[in-house]
Amino acid sequence: MGMTAKEPALELERITKSYPGVVALDEVNFTVHRNEIVGLIGENGAGKSTLMRILIGLIQPDAGLYRLRGERVTLRDPASAARHGVGMVFQEGSLVPNLSIMENLFLCHEIGFRKFGFLSQRAMRKTASAVLSLVKIASDLDTPISDTTPAVRQMVEIARLLWLSRLYHQENPVLVLDEPTTVLTENERITLFRILTDLKRQASIILISHRLQEIVENSDRIIILKDGKNVAELDARRANIADIENKMVGHSFATERYREDEQVEPGNDIVLNVRDLSKRGEFEPFNFSVRKGEIVSLVGLVGSGKEAVCRCITGLDKPDSGSVSLGGKKLAPGSPSETVRSGIGHIPIDRRSEGLALGMTVAENVNLLVLDRLKVAGLISPVREKKNADRLIQDCRIKTPSSSTMCANLSGGNQQKTVIAKWLSSKIRLLVLDHPTRGVDVGAKEEIYKLIRRLAGDGISMIIMCDTLEEDIGLCNRMLIMKDGRLTSEMTCARDKKPSPSNIIALIV
Amino acid sequence: MPRLLPAKGRSWFRRSGIGGQLLSLVIVMGIFTIGTKGRYVSGANLQVILSLAAIPAIISIGLHQVVVLGGIDLSVEGVVALCVVLVGFLAHNKFNSNDVGLWIVPIIVGFGGLAGVINGLLNTKLRIPSFISTLGMSWVLWGLAVYVSKGQTVPLLKNPLSVFVNGTLLGIPDLALVAFVLFLVIQIVQDRTRFGRYLYAIGGDEVLTAQAGVNVDRTKIIVFGIAGLFYGLSALFLAAELESAQAITGNNLLFPAVTAVAVGGVALTGGIGGAKNAALGALIVTALNDGLILLNVSPYAQEAVNGFVLVTAVALTIDRRKLGFIK
Repeated sequence: MGMTAKEPALELERITKSYPGVVALDEVNFTVHRNEIVGLIGENGAGKSTLMRILIGLIQPDAGLYRLRGERVTLRDPASAARHGVGMVFQEGSLVPNLSIMENLFLCHEIGFRKFGFLSQRAMRKTASAVLSLVKIASDLDTPISDTTPAVRQMVEIARLLWLSRLYHQENPVLVLDEPTTVLTENERITLFRILTDLKRQASIILISHRLQEIVENSDRIIILKDGKNVAELDARRANIADIENKMVGHSFATERYREDEQVEPGNDIVLNVRDLSKRGEFEPFNFSVRKGEIVSLVGLVGSGKEAVCRCITGLDKPDSGSVSLGGKKLAPGSPSETVRSGIGHIPIDRRSEGLALGMTVAENVNLLVLDRLKVAGLISPVREKKNADRLIQDCRIKTPSSSTMCANLSGGNQQKTVIAKWLSSKIRLLVLDHPTRGVDVGAKEEIYKLIRRLAGDGISMIIMCDTLEEDIGLCNRMLIMKDGRLTSEMTCARDKKPSPSNIIALIV
Repeated sequence: MPRLLPAKGRSWFRRSGIGGQLLSLVIVMGIFTIGTKGRYVSGANLQVILSLAAIPAIISIGLHQVVVLGGIDLSVEGVVALCVVLVGFLAHNKFNSNDVGLWIVPIIVGFGGLAGVINGLLNTKLRIPSFISTLGMSWVLWGLAVYVSKGQTVPLLKNPLSVFVNGTLLGIPDLALVAFVLFLVIQIVQDRTRFGRYLYAIGGDEVLTAQAGVNVDRTKIIVFGIAGLFYGLSALFLAAELESAQAITGNNLLFPAVTAVAVGGVALTGGIGGAKNAALGALIVTALNDGLILLNVSPYAQEAVNGFVLVTAVALTIDRRKLGFIK
């Protein structure tokens, strides 16, 4: 093989990391050669981010070897990784917003610019311009980061990592880019890959992206993880997307995963009716209805308008025109409290900040919407509160030591089940689920699917948006496909007649 | 090269812009000049303003760095009270035979610094929010000051400091000159040293700054310590000015200092504002109060005006994006 002739820059060998209840990484091997772009692929929860956090010293592996340029190293923290010429550009960014581009560039490594105890502005400016020209940024060094575009921030972070590796005399730095293109425009995306190809001459790059196309086009080698294990390593020139998808999802990805045999035929009554709903700049007039116990999946790329549609249905946003009716009764637009009262529940994508009060107990969370029903003589009864909570904990199989455990101490999956339980207890008729299994381990995913099936069986209608297309197809009765703010097509997903993902991708893109 | 950036930014001004503050100072002075038919801008009154502004300026130059970190220091009154009482014991006085001479300066300033370091340790090592730890410190030190001094006033005898604090140089009060020098030193530290850079980085995002490798705790302890040094110095000057030492000298120092910091444009959310803002804020607040006195406004109405100014200043400077909830 030609690959073995290459010199490895970074080697991770048999890396294992487990958390209570989950093995995040199971003897994973990961090698990056010099002057190479490696694409790292896997579903959410496959272990990519854990592996990268180990790679930059944010967390320590339970077992395994870490070698840099042939030598064993232990990276205690990101700062020590930086001194070894290893760094990561995070999705959410790691620049301090109130400092300028130049100040961020050198933060914590200013010592070389000291002259008589003071930082030499002239020397810093000179170096900053030189470093930024590597990533093709010619701009005012004094602009605060909070005033820059995501594209610039990304480039400043890359420049910072390159400069640090030079400062510590590390040849061929290793840079990790986590989903770098999600925040970029098309032109910025092209620029980014041009710069990365250019940087390859002096660095190795690990590219993480859910856009398989750009991984295949821009990397040299592709490594696929699944459920915390290595599943495949491909030469990017010979890789094709269908094959990658297959390996990513795995052969165990069979029909029973989404409990499709439990899928129920929806009833005849129309629960939700959306008429001529529109919002300027987000989506154009839109009609659809959801029947009793039906699961409707909204599918489309980011920017297709599906998130905005859900926000208008749940009352978080006010539509420009049209109406949403539940059981024949029109809802006041843009009023989340009325929406909840009339029976629409919402499971937000970010349960930590929106769905759940983490500092409150499981009981307090699940009872939050039904406090009126738990009153005795005008006061909330602790006995009834505990009884209701215990029933729901058992019903939804929330794994918690007791109903008085703080939600912050539960795993992601059990937090999500708590959110679902909250809505279940309030007797809703329609539930909007925004990426219900994001950041949840495989076992908890199963239980969430089971819960969704049970809700449907109880006659609760659902609108879902999922992490993967497979999940959408597996769970829903019917799929609405959106593109550029328009409803472009509709597809039924009956129990034994599920469409294949590739059919649908063609409609989305 | 593609130009990916928006129009030229001016971080120096944005981070600690003083345009608005200069303008308000001019407006305040303009109104009072008209209201007093020119008496307000007489040489004598300007001298009064400068000498009244000096102590609040020194205190707020110390305090504002804690605010830049994203915290608050409410300990000033307690620290000053205990330092002043200590002056009564150690300086040439009527009650005992002690006289440490000019050693009083490093002793008292150092004592203030020590109190500040304790504030910092409580905040970083015990992880107590600075709002509570410094408020608690203030009461502890105040209580100690009253207990140790038995609530008595110690008259100070002739000493060189009293001459200095009441003196002028080229018509400018000595204390105002000290405040100006301190402002310059801190401003340069903020603009041109690593310590200054870390101060703003921590105020901007503590977690990211720690990840970059900055020793966040040490920086914070130093900032609290510097604030304490400045309170100690203020205590020394106050005692020398009054030629007596008593615990209540510490009273009514906190509110003007916090107002000065906020009026100067130091954001309570952290990361924005520098020594120039704190110093200018102290000048604005003092100029305002001096004008009200010249116009014979009732002292109660003056207090109301000060409260109004504080809330308005915070409303104008706070970064609401940083505060998820207002509590």
